[in-house]
Amino acid sequence: MEEDKSKSENPLKVNRRHFFSQLSVGIGSLALGSLLIPDLFKGGPKPLASQPLGIPHFAPKAKRVIYLFQSGAPSQLESFDYKPTLAKRMGEDLPDSVRNGQRLTGMTAGQDKFPLMPSAAKFAQHGKSGAWVSEFFPHIAKIADDICIVKSMHTEAINHDPAITFFQTGSQQSGRPSMGSWMSYGLGSENQNLPSFVVLTSRGKGNSQGLYSKLWSSGFLDSKHQGVLLRSGKDPVLYLNDPDGISRSDKRHLLDHVSSLNKLHHVETGDDEIESRIAQYEMAYRMQMSVPDVMDIKKEPESIIKLYGEDSQVPGTYAANCLQARRLAENGVRFIQLYHQGWDQHGNLPNEMAGQAKDVDQASAALILDLKQRGMLEDTLVIWGGEFGRTNYCQGNFDPKNYGRDHHPRAFSIWMAGGGIKPGITFGETDEFGYNIVKNPVHINDFHATIMNNLGLDHEQLTYKYQGRRFRLTDVAGNVIKDIIT
Amino acid sequence: MIKKNSSPRVDYVIFGLTVFLIFCLVFESFLDLPSMVAWLGRLHPLVLHFPIVLLLMAAGIGLLNQIVPRLLLTVATLSALITAITGFFLGTESAPKAELLFWHQWMGAGVALLAVLWYWISTNYLQQTYLVRGIQLVVIVLIGLTGHYGGMITHGEDFLALPNSNRTEKIPENPLIYEHIVHRILDKNCIACHNPNKKKGELLMNSIEALIEGGESGASIVVGDPGSSELIRRLHLPMENEEHMPPEGKKPLSQDEIRILERWISLGASDTLRLEHLDNTDPLVGMVRKIMDRGTENKWAKLPKVADTTLQNLASDYVTIRRISGNSQALSVSVFLPPNYSSKNITRLQRIANNIVELDMSGVPIGEEEMALVFQCQNLEWLEVDRTPITDLEFDKIKALSKLRVIKAYETAITDKSVAILKDFNNLQSLYIWETQITEGGLSELKEALPNVQIVRGIDPELKDAFIKQDTILDSLQ
Repeated sequence: MEEDKSKSENPLKVNRRHFFSQLSVGIGSLALGSLLIPDLFKGGPKPLASQPLGIPHFAPKAKRVIYLFQSGAPSQLESFDYKPTLAKRMGEDLPDSVRNGQRLTGMTAGQDKFPLMPSAAKFAQHGKSGAWVSEFFPHIAKIADDICIVKSMHTEAINHDPAITFFQTGSQQSGRPSMGSWMSYGLGSENQNLPSFVVLTSRGKGNSQGLYSKLWSSGFLDSKHQGVLLRSGKDPVLYLNDPDGISRSDKRHLLDHVSSLNKLHHVETGDDEIESRIAQYEMAYRMQMSVPDVMDIKKEPESIIKLYGEDSQVPGTYAANCLQARRLAENGVRFIQLYHQGWDQHGNLPNEMAGQAKDVDQASAALILDLKQRGMLEDTLVIWGGEFGRTNYCQGNFDPKNYGRDHHPRAFSIWMAGGGIKPGITFGETDEFGYNIVKNPVHINDFHATIMNNLGLDHEQLTYKYQGRRFRLTDVAGNVIKDIIT
Repeated sequence: MIKKNSSPRVDYVIFGLTVFLIFCLVFESFLDLPSMVAWLGRLHPLVLHFPIVLLLMAAGIGLLNQIVPRLLLTVATLSALITAITGFFLGTESAPKAELLFWHQWMGAGVALLAVLWYWISTNYLQQTYLVRGIQLVVIVLIGLTGHYGGMITHGEDFLALPNSNRTEKIPENPLIYEHIVHRILDKNCIACHNPNKKKGELLMNSIEALIEGGESGASIVVGDPGSSELIRRLHLPMENEEHMPPEGKKPLSQDEIRILERWISLGASDTLRLEHLDNTDPLVGMVRKIMDRGTENKWAKLPKVADTTLQNLASDYVTIRRISGNSQALSVSVFLPPNYSSKNITRLQRIANNIVELDMSGVPIGEEEMALVFQCQNLEWLEVDRTPITDLEFDKIKALSKLRVIKAYETAITDKSVAILKDFNNLQSLYIWETQITEGGLSELKEALPNVQIVRGIDPELKDAFIKQDTILDSLQ
């Protein structure tokens, strides 16, 4: 509702549009021609739909999202996509009819052979649903009946940065708002004392790819929708605490005064980003109280700590972040984004991936169990997955004990749980080589559309007009995958 | 028939407005109205009654072979133009335009443009008696239709529907597939023509027996075989086909509705089959649930209206009040623990108690006063009072809240005494009661009374143990 007020596109300078918009208020003329210049009379965009912003379009199945992003792209062939054919035809060259012109990265483009490599991890079926899960993930195997494994994700990007940017923002080029920012924009905040979009990062021992703050940037949306990175350790948010000698009431006086000055400035310039800034100061003031409380996992009983694993006591680990994610979700944070780095196994895959899996397996599964017992799986959507898949052929030396896999965009697996996603199903299928999708493909745009749908948002209606055109998270594509929704 | 004497100034105004109206209509998709102009649209309800009366009067006088007073026609034409233009402005507030609005807009514009044409003919002394007559007749019909569509937009499509026409009843929790789903689809789309009174094609569709018996074209359904059922065949025919049902001009069935009929026939066209008899993976389950969900949005339709300003006044940094969706009157309330909590944060919500369908007070030190508010939330469906100091005494307050679907009361001090209350919740779907004082005896009593409710007693102990003890990762790989 707040967002109905007009907003400036570029708050830092008065451009032609601002000039005209303010001039026109004075003139107030209703010249016929002006009707054809949409922005002449108003400073910013208005939503396409007549629906008020900050409220779901329809009754939602999920109120919040916890996205366990496995940065670097874990191999689907050693996790959820079981391909016995690879063992039978081990070492054979990938048939051209299967590769079918797929472009390669610079890392394997020089290889003259693409020998098929089976998984070093054994697979078994788990739960009533009989989902295939590899031995790398013994805990996730135990919750197989609570999750929906999607084996038919695909993307266009073939390198990490465009791929992760695509997943986070719906576009391979950076600059668009992150998913979490879109959700914050579309759904508003549930708890006024915490940001609606929070980011937690951790790093495994495996080969890592960088993470940049652009992944949780609000792009052209109001900066209050930006993801707030919470750090591990004593100060989760830098500079949040008052310096020694400053009392809370002093701080209050200070803020009131700064705010009144800012308001004066706002009257002068009409720049709405100033109002955002005032709101953020206030938020930070309240966060001084709320954040330490939320982040204090000492309040968790021993049994919960053990459920997530001993690691969860060590700040900055994936396990600690999972536990933290549950606490943030309980406190009304809309979008909690975790990243665990180190999944880029171009070599030494069996060992590295076993280590990475160990980092995340227990805590990911524990999070599902913990949410489930609190009834939070009924309205919290959990997503687990990377930015693309890995090739079914070996990169580097052909050694079944120590091999690598290159990037593969055509088919990979992720899983989701809760928040209106059907539990205990496996969706989509790849061919016997695990290379191409043969049934129910899910593109990243479809994935975004589905998530938005479960949050009560119509992905075609949540738009923001910027630089003359309306943008969506799904841009001009995306279909809701109805078959995985309860 | 009409006296000539027109002031050129009026002619210019009419000409100008006409050009403007046509411009608006033609360039509609390119227009983005300034808010001041759009506001003018709000005058539409005020001015629209003038052209109705004036044009009807003018056309009536003309059709009775009387002379239409010049002034009357001028004012009528002007008011029609103004109404059409303000109406256009008002219409831009709702995009994309629904069908009703689309027709209303174009017919309204038609009325205005016809009035202008009439005005122009009469100004220019053209003796086109028949043309003018025609225009007068069309104007009368169009005004009626425009008014009717406009009325449906403001008052709802079924405003003029007869009182007994079916307001669909609520679908029960565990519906009979035939009676509550299939029959209602047929009732809505087919039975109007295939009933004992009308019996088109000698076919009755008001019972399963009648469907099996069929009509002129033979049996309508073949039990277990939708592929050879005449009913399904006709639903799938292309729209142009003579045999397509429902016939041209009637709304065709939705894909989901057709699939429901097909699945019901292949499952044996039974009249005793219930939703719960079906396996959860059966495609019918999802489709039926979807129809039932549509009902849930309706179930909140009767909630009292609550203004946004009321919500803003009651909300605070620690109490978030949100509508369940866009224009719903159903509210979801979350309370977070402020540094200095007072029960007023919650008790002041009394004014909107009837609208609250979800209430989350997890971890807040609530007591008797807060639970007294809960007592008033008659439409509550989702209640979170976990990690609060409540006891059986306070818990007793939820006794009458029969709509509750979800209750979270884990980590509280409730005991077997509360089991007696919980047993009576017919709509309950899930209940979270781990780390309470409820004993095994109380639990089995509950399970017996609520066989379909998911009662969560925490993580399965075996599974939990496995997590705590086992830290599996293949040794061979380390």
